[in-house]
Amino acid sequence: MSVESVLTSIQSSAVAEWMRDTNPAMQIVESMHVLAAVLVLGTVLIADLRLLGLADSRRAFSRVGTETLRLTWVAFGLAVVTGSLMFTTSAHTYFANTAFQLKALALLAAGLNMALFQLLTARGIAAWDVGKLPRAARVAGLLSLLLWAAVVLLGRWIGFTKGYDFTIPPGVELGFPTP
Amino acid sequence: MRAFAEWLYGTAPSVAIHSTLWLIRLLQATHLLTAGVAIASGLMIALRALGWQRADEPFDAVWRRFAPWLTGSLAVMVATGIAQTIGDPVREFTATSYWVKLTLLSGCVLGTLLLARTARRATADFSFAAKLVAFALIVCWLALPPLGRMIGYDLAIWGGLSLRE
Repeated sequence: MSVESVLTSIQSSAVAEWMRDTNPAMQIVESMHVLAAVLVLGTVLIADLRLLGLADSRRAFSRVGTETLRLTWVAFGLAVVTGSLMFTTSAHTYFANTAFQLKALALLAAGLNMALFQLLTARGIAAWDVGKLPRAARVAGLLSLLLWAAVVLLGRWIGFTKGYDFTIPPGVELGFPTP
Repeated sequence: MRAFAEWLYGTAPSVAIHSTLWLIRLLQATHLLTAGVAIASGLMIALRALGWQRADEPFDAVWRRFAPWLTGSLAVMVATGIAQTIGDPVREFTATSYWVKLTLLSGCVLGTLLLARTARRATADFSFAAKLVAFALIVCWLALPPLGRMIGYDLAIWGGLSLRE
C-alpha cells in the first residue's frame, strides 16, 4: 500500500467528507485546535521554566511537572484529535506542505526529547528535585521550550501556505490567495 | 463603525502594516505565543483560587509566581492585537467574534484583579462567590483562542448575528 493510496483513503473517508461538507465543522475544529495548541505551549512552558531554573526554583520539579503535565496531556489529546480531523479534509495537500512536514518533525523531536528526559535524566530526580539542576535537565527544558514554540509557529505557518482542496464556504476568509 | 474602519484602513500606519506581509505574520505569531503564556498564567491563578492547582501553596505565592508572566505576556499580546487591528480594521471591527473576544478579555483582566484583591483581604479560604468568579475566569480564558480564530470565520460561525454583511 503506497503513501498516496493511504492519503487518498483518508481524504475520501466518511469523516473527511463530513468535515468538508458540514458548515461550520471545519471552523469549529480549527478553533479548538488553536485552543489546544495555546494550552500545550503555555503549560509546557511552566515545567520548562522550572527545568531551566528560571521560575518555581523552590518548588520540587516532580511536583511542578505532575501538576502542569496533566493539563498538557489533556490539551495535547485535544490537539491530536482536532489536528487529525483537519488533516483528513486535505490529506494530500497537508502531506506535501513543507510547514506541515517541519511541524511533524518538531513534534517528533519534542516527543523524543521528553522520552529521553524521562528515561535518562529523570531517573536521578531524587538528587536534584529541589536543588541545583543538572545540565541535562536544563538542556531538556530549553529544547522542549524551543520545539513546542516551533510546533505552534509552524502550525500557524501551514495556514499561510497550504490552501484547501475543497470549495471555501461563503463568508470565510482564510487569509491567503485561494483559487 | 464600518466607515471608521475604512478610514483607518487608509491611514499610513494601517497601510504600513497590511502591505508588509512578513510583519503581519510576525505579529500573528507573536500574538499566538504570548496568548499561550498569558492564558496558562491566568488559568493557574484561577485554578489556585478554586483549589484545583497548587493547593498547598498560599494564593499570594501563586499570584507572585504567575502575575508577572501574565502582565508581561498580556502587554505584548494586546500590543500585537492592536497592531493587527490597525492593519486590518474592517476585518476585525465587522466580526462579532472580535467584540466578544475583547469583552471576555476585559472580563478576564478585571476578574483576575478582583480575585487578587479578595485574596489580600481574606483571612481564610475563598468564598463561594470568589470561586464562582474563578470558574467563570477559566471559561473566559479558554474561550479567547477559539474566538480569535473565529474572526476569520465570522459569518459561518455567527450567521445572522455576525456584523459582517
